[in-house]
Amino acid sequence: MPGLRLTDSIAARLALGHGALLLALLLLTSAVFYFGTVGVLARSMDGKILSISNRLRAEYGRRPLEELVHEINAELTDGIDSDTEIFLVTAPGGARVVGNLSSWPTTGLPLGRLLNREVVRDGRPSSARLLVQPLSNGGLLYVGRDLSEQRAIRTLVVRALETATAVSLLLVIIGAWLSRRQIERRISGIRQTAHAIEAGNLTQRINVSGDDEFARLGVDVNRMLDRIEQLMSGVRHVSNAIAHDLRTPLGRVRARLDEALRRERTVPALADAARTAIDGIDDLMLLFNKLLQIAEAESGMRTKSFEQVDLSSIVQDIVELYDAAAEEAGVRLSVASHAPLSAQGDRDLLATAVASLIDNALKYAGRGARVELLARADVQGAAIVVRDDGPGVPAAELPRLTERFYRMDRSRHRPGNGLGLAIVAAIAKLHGGTLQLVNAEPGLHASIRLPEAKGAPPPLPGTRSAAAQTAAPAHLSNP
Amino acid sequence: MKSLVIDDEPETARYISNGLREAGHSVTCCADGLDGLHQALNETWDLIIIDRLLPGGVDGLSIVGKLRDLGKRTPVLIVSALTSTDERVRGLRQGGDDYISKPFAFAELLARVEALLRRAEPAQSTTQLRVADLALDLRTLQVTRNATPLALQPRELRLLAYLMRHAGQVVTRTMLLEAVWDCHFDPQTNVIDVQISRLRSKVDKGFSPALIHTIRGVGYLLGERRAGAALVR
Repeated sequence: MPGLRLTDSIAARLALGHGALLLALLLLTSAVFYFGTVGVLARSMDGKILSISNRLRAEYGRRPLEELVHEINAELTDGIDSDTEIFLVTAPGGARVVGNLSSWPTTGLPLGRLLNREVVRDGRPSSARLLVQPLSNGGLLYVGRDLSEQRAIRTLVVRALETATAVSLLLVIIGAWLSRRQIERRISGIRQTAHAIEAGNLTQRINVSGDDEFARLGVDVNRMLDRIEQLMSGVRHVSNAIAHDLRTPLGRVRARLDEALRRERTVPALADAARTAIDGIDDLMLLFNKLLQIAEAESGMRTKSFEQVDLSSIVQDIVELYDAAAEEAGVRLSVASHAPLSAQGDRDLLATAVASLIDNALKYAGRGARVELLARADVQGAAIVVRDDGPGVPAAELPRLTERFYRMDRSRHRPGNGLGLAIVAAIAKLHGGTLQLVNAEPGLHASIRLPEAKGAPPPLPGTRSAAAQTAAPAHLSNP
Repeated sequence: MKSLVIDDEPETARYISNGLREAGHSVTCCADGLDGLHQALNETWDLIIIDRLLPGGVDGLSIVGKLRDLGKRTPVLIVSALTSTDERVRGLRQGGDDYISKPFAFAELLARVEALLRRAEPAQSTTQLRVADLALDLRTLQVTRNATPLALQPRELRLLAYLMRHAGQVVTRTMLLEAVWDCHFDPQTNVIDVQISRLRSKVDKGFSPALIHTIRGVGYLLGERRAGAALVR
C-alpha cells in the first residue's frame, strides 16, 4: 500500500495542499460563525444588563425603595426572560432586600463593570454575568443574566466545529491516499512501458483507457514511441545496409590495392590499381552523398532557401538532360505540357527528384517504352508526374519502393543503390508534399505532389481529367 | 601563374599545391585565416584557392568578402567540405568565382582553375566561335563543320558553345551540368557521357580530325588532340 510520504508523492502533496486550504477555509468559517453567534449573543446580553440596570437606577434612584422592590418583583414574574434574569437589591449593610439570589459575591466586585461570577440563583448554583451599581440609599443593585444557556450554545458550536475539523482532516487523508493510489495506478502503466522500452523492448505500448489526462498522455507517448520505433528501425536498416553497401566496395578496393602492392611490380599495373581504387572510392562518395542528401532533406533545414520556382522549366531542363540517355535506352521521353507552373521550393532538390524519377523510368520501363513527364496544377496544388508504359511494379512492392536501400528482386543485378526513390520521397516531404507511386497498368505513375504555392495559377481546364486519371488510392500514397 | 592556397589541412594543401606546381604555377600556402587574409590583401595574385573553415578567427568567406569589398577581382576558387547547395550559393554570393566540394579529383580542380583564369582574360569576339573547321555563329546559331551545316537541338547548341568557349581546355561533367543544364547536383549517371556521344556523332562523324575528346576520369576537351594530352591520367 502506498504510503503518504510527502517527498515522494505528488498525489499526497496535492491532497494535503487541498486539505490545508480546506482547513483554513473551515477555520475561517468557524471563526465567523462563532463570533456571529456566541459573540453576538454575549454582546446583546451585556447591552440588556446595562440598559436594565441604568433604567432601574434612573427611575427608582430618587424614589422610595418599595417602588424599586415592587418593580423588580414585577420583572421577575413577568415571564419575559424570567428563567435567566438575575436581580438583587441589598441594603447598605449588605442584607438582601429583594431579588432571586441566595448567595452572591460581596467582595472583589468593582462597581459599574460587567463580570462573570458564580452565584446561587433560586437555590441553584450557576454562573452569571453581573453588573453591580450603587443605589442612592447606600445599598447596591445587582443586575445580571444566567450564563448556563449561553455556555451550552458555545459548547455546542465548539463541538460541532471540532467534529467538522476532525472529519475533514480524515477526508483529506483518505482523499490523498485514494488519489495517490489512483495516480499511481494510472502512471504505473506508463512506467512499466518505459521500463520495458529501457530494457530494449521497443514494441511495448501503454494501455490507454478512458479519455482523461493520463489517457491523452498515453496516446501522445504511444505516438512518440511509434515514431521512435520507426526511426530506430530505419536507422538499423540503414546501418545494416551501409555496413553491407560500404563494406563490399571498401573490401574490393582494399583487396585490389593489397594485391597490387604484393604482386605488381610495373608502374602501369600499379597505376591501374590506383585508378580502380579511386573509381571505387568515388562510388562510395556518391553513396555517401545520397545518404547525406536524404538526411539533409529529412532534417527540414533546406526549407529556408525555398523560393518561387517554375516546375515546367525544371521538367524541361531535366528532360533535355536525359534525352540522349533515353535515346540510347530506346525509350521515348517526352514532356506533355509546357505551361509555366509555379511552386514554392528548392530548384536543385526538385530537379534532383525529377532526374531520379526519369532515371528510374529509363532503367525499368524497358526498351520501346514511352516515358511522359507532366507538370500540372491539381486540386491540392501542383504535381510533377512521370508516367511510363513499362511493366510497372508488383503491387506488394509499391509501398516499399521508397525505403532506403530497398531493391526489387528483379532489379538487384542492375546498377543502383536503392536510394533514388527514398531521396525523391524525402524531397517531396520536405516540400510539404508526397511522392505517390501507382501502378497504372501498364506502367508506373510516379507523381510528386506539392502543396499550393502563393500566386500559383488556378488549375487549367482540361487538366482535371488527367488529375483523375492519376489520382492515387489513399493506401498507396507514401508520405 | 602566381597562386595562393589558403587551407589549414596540410594534406589537402600539399595535394593542391603540388598539383598546381606541376601545372606550372608558383604556389604560396597559408594555413591560417588571419595570415591568409594578409597575404590575399597585401600581394597581387593571379588566383586564390581558399578553404571555408579556417583557424585564426577569419573564415574563408570573410576573406573573399574583404577582397571584393576592396575592389580586388582576383579569381577565387572556394574549396569546402560544406557541400550543400545552400553553402555553395553562400560561397558564390560572397564573391567566390567557383566552388568545389571536398573530396575532389585534382583534375576537376585544375579544369576549374583553368576555366577561371580564362575567364579573367579579356573576352574575344563574341559573334563567332571557331575551332579548326568547326564554326558556331552566335547570332544565327548556325553550326558548320567544314562549311557543312549541322542540325543541333537548342541544348546541344549550348553544350557545343560551352565546349568551344573552353576549347583546348578540359571541362568536367559537373562544369557542363552547371553551365548547360543549370544543374547544381550530380545525377550520378552517365547522362553527360551520353549527351557528349550524341553531340560527337553530329559534330565529328564523317569529319576529320575528331574534335571532341574524352579525358578519362576527368571530362572532355574540344580541340585538336595535343592540347589536352598532358591531362590524361
